[in-house]
Parts: sequence; structure tokens; C-alpha cells
Amino acid sequence: MIKSHSTLLALSLSAAFVAAASLSTKSTASWWSPGQGTPLPEFATYDNEQGQLGVLNTSGQLDTKGHPFFEAIGTNGRACVTCHQPSDAMSLSVRTIRERWTATGGKDPLFAAVDGMNCPSLPPGDPRSHSQLLDRGLFRVALPWPPLRADGTRIDPEFTIEVVRDPGGCNMDPRYGLNSATPTISVYRRPRPVANTKYTTHQNFGVGPFIGKNGMPSATDPETGKPTSMNLMSDARAATLAVQAQDAASTHLQLAGTLSAAQTARITAFERQVYIAQVARRDAGSLVEPDGPPAFGPRNLAADDAGVLGNNTTRYVFPLAGKWTHLPRTGDETENARSASRESIARGHDVFMFRTFWIRDSMHLNSVGLGNPVKRTCATCHGMHMTGMDTANGWMDIGTTNLPWATEVPLNPWTEARPQMPLFRVTCKPGVRPHPFLGRVIYTQDPGRGLISGLCNDVGTIVMEQFRGLAARAPYFSNGSAATLRELADFYDRRYNIGYSEQEKQDLVNFLGAL
Amino acid sequence: MNARHVICGTALLLAGLLVPVAAVLGADEPRRNFVSCPIVRDTASVPCWLAEYNGQLYFLTIQSDVTSPVTPPWLGHRVLVEGTVSAESPICGGIVLKPVHLSVIPEPDASCNTMLPAEERYNLTFEPPRPPGPSKGRLAFDNAPPPDKKSPAVLPSTRDFLVPYDFDALVGFNHARVLTDMLEFARAVNARDVEIVGYRAAARLSNGQVMLEESDIGKRRAEQLAMLLQGANLKSPAYKVTWRDESARASGIDDYAIRRAVVTVHAGEAGR
Repeated sequence: MIKSHSTLLALSLSAAFVAAASLSTKSTASWWSPGQGTPLPEFATYDNEQGQLGVLNTSGQLDTKGHPFFEAIGTNGRACVTCHQPSDAMSLSVRTIRERWTATGGKDPLFAAVDGMNCPSLPPGDPRSHSQLLDRGLFRVALPWPPLRADGTRIDPEFTIEVVRDPGGCNMDPRYGLNSATPTISVYRRPRPVANTKYTTHQNFGVGPFIGKNGMPSATDPETGKPTSMNLMSDARAATLAVQAQDAASTHLQLAGTLSAAQTARITAFERQVYIAQVARRDAGSLVEPDGPPAFGPRNLAADDAGVLGNNTTRYVFPLAGKWTHLPRTGDETENARSASRESIARGHDVFMFRTFWIRDSMHLNSVGLGNPVKRTCATCHGMHMTGMDTANGWMDIGTTNLPWATEVPLNPWTEARPQMPLFRVTCKPGVRPHPFLGRVIYTQDPGRGLISGLCNDVGTIVMEQFRGLAARAPYFSNGSAATLRELADFYDRRYNIGYSEQEKQDLVNFLGAL
Repeated sequence: MNARHVICGTALLLAGLLVPVAAVLGADEPRRNFVSCPIVRDTASVPCWLAEYNGQLYFLTIQSDVTSPVTPPWLGHRVLVEGTVSAESPICGGIVLKPVHLSVIPEPDASCNTMLPAEERYNLTFEPPRPPGPSKGRLAFDNAPPPDKKSPAVLPSTRDFLVPYDFDALVGFNHARVLTDMLEFARAVNARDVEIVGYRAAARLSNGQVMLEESDIGKRRAEQLAMLLQGANLKSPAYKVTWRDESARASGIDDYAIRRAVVTVHAGEAGR
């Protein structure tokens, strides 16, 4: 007998909590509560399933008491740190989210109705109302439709948008939805790591007054007027750390009013000096030994150059400096196992850097002069030295949210599993060129950058994220559709028909987990 | 698919117009202007791009990087090829067209889907400027020294900027540099006026047919350039935006050069 969907969901969530609790390797003390006032050391480590994450404050130990990043400055009890936990690479893993649900019975401010629920109109306290957050670590992002420019004027979008599927109920909600008095589209996204920001905000290679992918004007820093890399957020809607802080304070923290200049300055100053990266793996041991590969650890990140194109054999995206390629074996089995793991990481690096495959129908990659398809490697897109982001404005459509490639629940008569993500039908207006790879009508779980620019070619494009601290902050992709690094590798394998061997996948996963 | 790019028998319907067939270029004429599905052939290094016309296979370009003067076409779309037969030995089994200009036809065409596997006999006989993976530390064709950031002692009071386009295209990835040049000059001379002229063109094919660009493309090109410069906060100059139809100039010889806009920036008093 098949149980109802809601019962199954509740049971599966409960099972997940039990599993998470029993497998937990870190103490709950790693959770950072708003206003707890504990100093954040100059260098701290946090255990995770794959090893250990390092958090480096280059300005030295931070007194968090009264610090606006760590205090509940809004009206819902959250602080910035609520969703940007040091233990979770300054992001937030779904594992931690579930632990907080269990520990607080869903009462933690983390689960605030504004975006910690699928829709504020749903009954609070019911895990089904928070399923996006509990299942995939996704927060609701509510965006005006049609989009608005930075100066508040309305953009005439190139496409119309309809709600095809609305499992969270928010897009059709009379108060919060597309047909409300303030038409709004709700999408569900992962929080990005607030660390290593000299890389996400660099002013180096590929940043200019016009976007190198489509010739449109770049977003500028309102304080300096300079163009920005537009790589901070998944839809590039906030040009600078200060703009993002104001936006996050008013939305996620429900701050009444705005951040003061002093608060903004303290928040951004903290964000500019904090670095995170994995520092140890359980199988490979320390990643940051003095003579180890210079790619690893937050100290190397802090010391290296930002905004450098690393898709070459002179700087490398992640420089291993030839370390760990061939390690000697000894009579010590433990030592040999560690060497084997390190060699796997080195092979995974080579898969990332040198394993070619055909990249096809990916907007803002195949459309920017390389041809469709293009025979290249992971490092072609993930080319920024030390982070694997795009050096230029980094939004692309690799199919994580656009159909037919986005992960969808298989519907058939033998399952009651139902899709969790919303689905939108986007239609490019008459007189507008159809999307070159998806045509005039596009189905998407999240229109991504298209919700900000209003451009058909931007539908489903997402700004690629840095590769750091991955082991501490699953799941992956902006919509959390890859629960593990293995699922991430599997997605690429499926999307681009790569044909990875099992060994290649394992090596790639080990490499990514070491970053 | 809309009516603009429908192949109907041997006649091409473009921009809603059936264009009369003119005299076909002579058989010894080295120019090859045609619309065809691109073909990508893998090699042991970078792929090469080909297209078939009148039973002949032509080599268009190899995969390189964004600095390449000829960027590869797209599967899933037809391509307008405007090239000249070269005396070079065939590459990847194709007669070499050099110089060649390629324009991706915007309307998708799923029938363009030919990928050929690598064959030893078609491997490149030269080292490509850019390998298929990471580069060797430099971009393939961008060997020019970085622009001198020092302003010359005296800037001209007027400067023209030529903006070339692919067929039926507006601004794309390859226009960021010329737009930046315009912007920087306009700021440096405290521009008083910006005149923009957008042109509509046509392409005469080797079979005598003429492909017309969209009727309003000249207007759209000019207006878009003004919008982009203003969007980059160049708001103080007065903008004069006009457009012209030069599609009648299509001769089958360098028709790509007609697809353009010209932006003329006039210095203001303080910039002279």
C-alpha cells in the first residue's frame, strides 16, 4: 500500500534527521548563534564528514560581540552568521539545517517564515512547510516581476513567464505570488559562501565597463562608479559586498530600515578578510603541510592573486606544483593509504584540468566565440586561479535549472514522489530572437539571471560559484540538486555525455573535496 | 521557425521578402558565399569546422579561443559563409576558405547536427594556436602589447568607431572592446555629441540569391549602441541616432563590410 505523499515526506525527513544525528562527527557547539559573543579566532578548524575545514581571519582574532555580522540586527532573530556559518565554509549545509531543526523543534530563527519556509503563507512548524530548506538547503528568494534596474525603474523584459508548477504554493499565492498586488516570483537557492571575497569581487582579468559575454553594460559599484565582476550572487543582482549586505539585511534579516554606514563597513570589512578552505581529509591527511601543493588551504588563498585566468599551464586554476603525482610506498599501510589518496587527488586535478569533452548548448559559453560544441575541459569555464570561478561575469546555463537537463522527479504510475521545485514556462516575445539553444519557449525551475536582466538568453543562467570548502557545505548547485560531490560529477557526466570512468569520477570527487 | 529563414525549394525567403535570383557568379570565381549546416570534425588536437556547398567540403576554421578573428559556428544553426577559396592545401578534408566570415543564422535548425569522429588522415598538419584544454599561458591571437594607458598629449576632436556585425546580429560578446574604446575616448574628451549611424546590409550568395537583413536592423543597431553607451553612464553628450539601408550594395564581394554601425564621437569644449 502506498502512503500519502505528505506522510512519506514526513517519514523521510524524520529518517534523514535520525541518520544525520547518528552519523554526526561534529559537535553541535560548532553552531554559531546570533549574539553569542564568542571571539572568532585568527585561525579555526571545524570537522566535517570528509575531514577538516580551516577558517582564517587575516586581520586576526575577531571580537564578535556587537559585530553586525554576528548580531541579530533584524526583526526575526537572525544574524548574517545564521546562514553563513564558519563551520560550513561560511555557507550552510543541509546537514546543519536538519540538526538545527531537530535541536530546536523548528524554532530557530533560521526557519523564519520570510524565506525559511516554502512560502510565508504556509503553517509554521510543519516540516512540510520548510521542505525546500530541510531537503535541499534552499531559501526562498522573492524577486519582483517585471525586474527593476538598480535605480528602481522597471525593465521591459524580453519574455513572459507563467507558473506551470508551484509545489511550494508561493508563486500562485494571492499575497506573495505572480498575480499578487506586487507581482513576485519565488525561486529557491542555496546560500553562497561569504569568504574568499577578494576573488568574488576582483577587478582584474575580464572586468570592464561592458560584459564580455553579451556587450551589455556591467553593473557598477555605486560608491566608486567602477564596473564590477558581477560574480557575487547566483543572479548577479548585487554588484558589491555593501549592496549585498543591505539587500540581505532587509530581506533575510527583515531589518526595519537600512544598515548604517558603520554597520555596512564592519560587515564588509569582515567579509574581505575571512578565508576558508579544506585543510585536511580523512583519507589523505593534512592538505596544508609546508611542502604540500600550493592550491590548498585558506592561507594559500589569502596569499595568492585574485582575478587571474588560470586556465593555462603557467598559473593553473589550482596549482599542485607537481606534488602528489607519484608518491613512494613504504611498509606502513596507513602511510601507503594516505599516499594513494593523495595520488587520487592529483589525478582528480588532472581530470578537472585536462580531460576534454564536448561542451554543447551552454549559453554564455558556446555563444561567446568558442563554437558549439567546443572540445574543452572543466577548467575552460571554471578558470579563475584558486577558486574555479569565471574571471569574467560568470553566469552560464549548464542545465541545472533549465529543462531538459535539470534534475526532475520521474513521474510514473508506481510512485507518489512529486516534484519539489517550481516550474516556469518562459516565452520569448515576438520580435525577440529565440534562445539559440532552447528556442522560443523554455521550461525552467529558476530563470536565474533572466529574472534580473529580463533577457531571453539569460534564462536559467546562474553565476558559477567558487569551489572552496565544498566538503563542508553540501548540497551543490544553486538549487541544491546534487546532494553529494558524486552526484555533481554524475550530473556533468550526463549533461555533456562525458563518459567518465569510475576511477575518473572518484578522483574528481576526491579532488573537489580537498578544496 | 518563422517565415524569415524558410528554405522553399531553391528560393530563400528572408525578412519576409522573396528576393529575385540574380546572375550566378562564374565557376572560376574564388568567392564562396552560401548558407549551409556547419560540420564539426574531431581531430587528435582541436576540432575543425567545415561546411558543404555544391558537393564540395570547405574548411572554415579550427577551434581556438575568444581572440580568434574567425569564431566557429554552432551546431543547431545554419551558418552564412562568406569566403574566398585559398591556395592552401586542404585542412581536415576541406578546401580552405581564407579569408572567411561566418554568421550564425539566429533561428535554430535542429537538422544541423553533424559531428564527425577523428580520423588519422584528417589530423592537423600544424600546431593549433590553442590546444583543446588549457592554454600555454597566452591567448591564441592576442599578441598585441597592452594598450598604453597614458593619454596622448593631444586627443583628436573627433573620432570614428567602426562596429562590425554578423548577419542580422546586434551587439554580442565580441563588441565589448570597441564599446570600451568608445566609452573611454568619450570620457577623455568630455564628449559633446555622439553620432551613431546603423546600417542594414545584404549578402549576395554564390547562387545569385540575395539575403536581406531584417528591415529594421540598421535602426536597432544604432539605437542599441546609444542605449549601451547611456547604460554605461555616458549620459551627458547629445545623441544623434540615424540609420541607412545599404542592402542594394550587395555584390557578393566583401558584403560583410556593409553590416556595420559607425559611431562618431565629438569632443566637448573641455576635452579639446
